[in-house]
Formats: sequence, structure tokens, C-alpha cells
Amino acid sequence: MAALVTMRINDKGVSEAIGFMLIFGMVIVGIGLVTLYGYPLLLQQQVSADEKIMEKNMIVLQNDIKSLAYKAVPFKETSLKIGGGSLTVYDSSYSTPSSTIEINDNGNNPYIPPFTPGELRYESMSAQTDIALQNGAVVLRRHVEPGSVMLAEPRWFFDSATNTVVFNLIKITSDTIMSKEGIGTVQMRLVGEPSYSAAPPIPNGQAIKLVYTPTPSGGRQDYSVAWDNYIIKTFDNPPYISMTKSGGPPGSGTPVTYTLTNNGSSDMTLVIKIFEVNIKSL
Amino acid sequence: MARLNDDAQWIILMGFLISFSFFFLALIINQSTVVGQTTAESVIEFPKNDIRDLVGVITTNTSRSNTTVVNSDITVISLHRKNAVVRYSLIQPNPPVDLHSYASIHYNNGVTTYYENWTSL
Repeated sequence: MAALVTMRINDKGVSEAIGFMLIFGMVIVGIGLVTLYGYPLLLQQQVSADEKIMEKNMIVLQNDIKSLAYKAVPFKETSLKIGGGSLTVYDSSYSTPSSTIEINDNGNNPYIPPFTPGELRYESMSAQTDIALQNGAVVLRRHVEPGSVMLAEPRWFFDSATNTVVFNLIKITSDTIMSKEGIGTVQMRLVGEPSYSAAPPIPNGQAIKLVYTPTPSGGRQDYSVAWDNYIIKTFDNPPYISMTKSGGPPGSGTPVTYTLTNNGSSDMTLVIKIFEVNIKSL
Repeated sequence: MARLNDDAQWIILMGFLISFSFFFLALIINQSTVVGQTTAESVIEFPKNDIRDLVGVITTNTSRSNTTVVNSDITVISLHRKNAVVRYSLIQPNPPVDLHSYASIHYNNGVTTYYENWTSL
């Protein structure tokens, strides 16, 4: 008995109330930290996950359009989840188009009427970002910044072996105004035969002029920086084509003219194909 | 004095290890979807059948007369239907010396550029 008494710890300072307050305080601080820092972080994660998912979804839709246009598939359908914003289809004849493309010859005579592609656009309310599928490309733009970036490229190309420039323009149309949030099915079909025009050969020293006019409002839908980078990357082939750029700068809402001058020994062939994709439902 | 029996602490330690390994596995799986998508895309994108069709058409037409017309027809049809820029040249057999025909074929659809030198049997 005596041995046990000497072994006991002195617990005169132990208070149940203080212990309770310590533990309770720790719990409250823990909850507070999670609410103030953890929860917003989780929300942010959710928003950026939604955005990433939509980026992938738009690339899936772009693949659908590729199948319609280049592989002669008549109809395509894709189910997808649209989170954190809405997916809207803008007809090619929409009054403030995000871009107008003109392709002119050396003397500024147009090869085709001014082309407005129309688009499928995802507008994220929470991430303040727009992702648009326009003219066969997927482009992304943050609302607050003048710049934009191309996530997936369209199929415009220059073939140096045959000195051929090919523009594949894709027009998106819809019979009604449609918008979707949540889970939806995008149905699209190819309308008619693609319109195909082979211009007369362009001799050495002559040029093609590509005019890219961004949205007249100069607002959030100006994707000219992304297109500028793409056009330069695709068509600036020094030994064959010498390219000069006038107007702009991209991102300022003003038209940019790209002059592609034939520097090759043979005549340059210009091919413009216009595909019309009709969005049946969202 | 009775002490706590802590022989089973390794169970908790293993729990930690397993949960960390799950975390790393999740990271790896997350990456793999991206890799799978791009690989599958590039396989689908490759215009295998278009190229086979084209080579088939060119190699069965080696003995036709008026090759310039056939050549330009094939070029226009590929551009219109297959969305590809095509150019080829044919060398007809020269009987006593050489019994083979030769074709050099160029194909470009903006994603894939393809060259082939074909020789008949």
C-alpha cells in the first residue's frame, strides 16, 4: 500500500474545466481553419476540375466535328457533363461574331464572302473563363486578360511539296438558340456537301491576304492572340512563303492582315473548303 | 505497474504506408488518362485507309493512257473527298530493259505527311 502511494503522480494541478477548454479550443480552431482556408481551397479545386473536364469535353466535341468534316461521318452524338457554367451554341449568323475571316487575293478581291464561323462556347461563371469551339479549333480565354490560348488546332496547312495552302473553314449553325447546363447530349450533323473552291494558281511574287477581324465589341470574345500564334506557326514557312503582318496588334480588337507571298519556284495553289456543321440539340 | 501493450502499433504504421501508396497510385492513374487519350488519338488520326486507297488507285492505274488526266483527277478527288493534298509521278515500264513501273507518292492531310516509293512486281 505504501509503495503505491509513493508511485502516484502529483495531480493537484489537474483541472477538468481547463482540460475541457483546451480540447474544445483545439476543436474550434480546427473547424475554423478548415472553414476559412480548407473549404475555399476545395471549392477552387472543384472549379478548376470543372474547367479541366470542359477542356477535355471540348476536345471530344472537336473530334466529333473532325469526324463529320474529314471522315464523311453523317451524324455524331456525345453525352457530357457541363459543370460550373453553361454550354451555348452561337449560330454562324449571330450578330456579334467572335471573328470574321476574309481571304483575299493580291488586289484585295475576296475569294469567299466574309466568313463567320459561329461557335460552341462554354462560359464558366465560377472560373471566369470561356472555352470556345470555333472554326475547328478549341480556344480558351480568361475574362480578365486580353490574351487567349489555343488548346486544339484546326486543320489549316501548307504543303511545301506541292506548294499548296489549304484552309478548312468550319461553320457551326443551329436552328434555335440553345444552351445547356448539367448533363447533356450534343448532337451534330454535316449539312450538305462541303463547299470547295480552288482559286486560280498564284504565281511567284503574288500573295494571299488573310484578314482576321475579332469581335467588334472588343470584349471578352476576342480570341485573336490564339489565332495569331496559330496562323504564324502554320503559314510562316520562310523558303516557300514570306509572311508579313499588318494591323493589330492581336488582342486589341482591331483587324489583323496576314499577307502570304509565294516565294516558291512554282505556282501556289489555294484551296478553301467550307464545312457546315449543324447542332441538332444540346 | 501495468503498461500499455503496444505490440500492435505496426498495424497503424502499415495503415499509413498503404494510404500513402494509394495517394501515389492516384497520381499515376491521373497521368495515365492523359497519356492514353493522346496515344489513342494519334492512332485514330493516322489516315491508314486513305493512304491504302490512294496507293491502290495509283498502282492499278499504271497502264492507263492519258496519265495527266488521271493524275489530275486523282489529285482533285483526294482533295475533295479525303481532304488531302496528293501528288504522284509514274514511270512506265520500259520492256526490254526494265519490266517494272515505279511511282513516287506524296500525301499530306495537314496532320500526316507521307511519302512512298512504289515498285511493281
